[in-house]
Amino acid sequence: MKPFTYILPRSLPEAATAAARKGAQLKAAGIDLIDRMKERIETPSEVVNLLSLKGELSYIKSERDSGLRIGALTTLNDLELDAALGAAQFGALREAAGRTATPLVRNRATIVGNLLQVTRCWYLRSAAFGCLHGKKGPACLAMTGENRYHSVMGYFDCVRVHPSNLAPALLALDAEFTSQLGDRQSRRKLSELFPKEARAMLAEHTLLPGEIVTAIHVPAQPANARSAYRESREKLSFDWATTACAARIVVEGGKIRTATLVLGAVAPVPMPMPEAAKLLIGEAPSDELFQKVANAAYQSAVPLSQNVYKVQVGKAVVRETLHAITR
Amino acid sequence: MSLPDEPERRGFSRRAFIKGASVAAVTSAGVAAANLAQAPQEPKSFAIGEHEVELKINGQQRKLKVETRTTLLDALRDRLDLTGAKKICDRGACGGCTVHVDGHAVNSCMMLAIDAIGSEVTTIESLTQGEQVHPLVQNFATCDAMQCGFCTPGMVMSSLACLQRRGKPTREQVQHDLSGNICRCGTYGRIFEAVERTAEGATK
Repeated sequence: MKPFTYILPRSLPEAATAAARKGAQLKAAGIDLIDRMKERIETPSEVVNLLSLKGELSYIKSERDSGLRIGALTTLNDLELDAALGAAQFGALREAAGRTATPLVRNRATIVGNLLQVTRCWYLRSAAFGCLHGKKGPACLAMTGENRYHSVMGYFDCVRVHPSNLAPALLALDAEFTSQLGDRQSRRKLSELFPKEARAMLAEHTLLPGEIVTAIHVPAQPANARSAYRESREKLSFDWATTACAARIVVEGGKIRTATLVLGAVAPVPMPMPEAAKLLIGEAPSDELFQKVANAAYQSAVPLSQNVYKVQVGKAVVRETLHAITR
Repeated sequence: MSLPDEPERRGFSRRAFIKGASVAAVTSAGVAAANLAQAPQEPKSFAIGEHEVELKINGQQRKLKVETRTTLLDALRDRLDLTGAKKICDRGACGGCTVHVDGHAVNSCMMLAIDAIGSEVTTIESLTQGEQVHPLVQNFATCDAMQCGFCTPGMVMSSLACLQRRGKPTREQVQHDLSGNICRCGTYGRIFEAVERTAEGATK
């Protein structure tokens, strides 16, 4: 790591002011940031340590309307184990948190750190390569290079995938986030945290310099809602997904009444699939139906030279997710 | 690479930092943070260079010099000669550097040493007092739960966290809790046995 000045803010406004300075970088647990700093891909002159606000920003609160408010510094381990997430409606979030990395990482990694971690693209994360997204080269190197873990849909001039497994789960639950910029707070849909068009030259999130996500809100879910998260990966531990799916469904009288479906790890941003989810409405759960939905979810897929497998595996993961909710 | 210590630390003294850290501890205890909002404009900071800090390690306050970029693992190994935790992957992928921070098993290679100020750090060294060894360590020996032994300190610390949290874990729970630790010799079966023997109260 290159040397840096380490800043300990005592309040959110102080953290926001410090983070807005040129060369400053916000850090929570730092699991992803320290990794990139060790590789010298990231060389901030100042690191603003949000952990000094842990007392303020680490909590899971049940809201009066039975939604959840989760502090930005809440660890994945807390998400996995907290009784408030025990209900079937929050299954997707609990399962996604419990599958991330390793128990050792989950004991420190935070919910917002998971959402804002930088893509795992090996070209971007290697100091030996310069690519368009890293603003150090003329083109996406994975597009025509080693791309077995890269995007199969939703890409333009950069085929990285979004690495967060909490993102699809939270999007399936209609989550929102609160952020602080200076002394202003705003609450937006979580989908607005990610760029609409994931161009290489755009950041992987839409936050402004110095803007700090302070909380994630999981609103009250529809009555009798159940949700699940499933992913495919090469290793059972310390790995990122090759494909992922989160869904939330309400079944009443044997028929599916409402459904959300979100794909992860297949595009530069998490991919909500409203059209595919619509096929579920009014139907009785069956494998035939779920196959139809999985096909629809991957209809727009244009795989790269080495990741054709993702389409087939991804469809199986969609089916497995829907079965997990409805069985 | 070591950098020259700054003669006068700009805008920061250790005493001021420790005061700040104790305020943070009070906040985390649940006291309203409202009065902190009126704090002066400049936040506390550590400049580039070495700083003398105090860490609580195995129940003792230890003074040591660290840079802002020093990981907890490097501080333990290179500054305090606590070489039980191993530096293997240095990226949080192998578990060789596992220590407990405030009762949680974590990768000390992915944590800055200065982030451990105010926390209780427990290392593998705490499990041996002279001739006395912790039953878990004894059971690792009894079960021959190692070959090269390089992963063992991390395995023991993750196993300890598993036992402390679950009391009598099932085999699946042991596997789950040790899934951040890799043994390239493949002695997993014996490691799981050592954890289960300890849970059953075996000390020999």
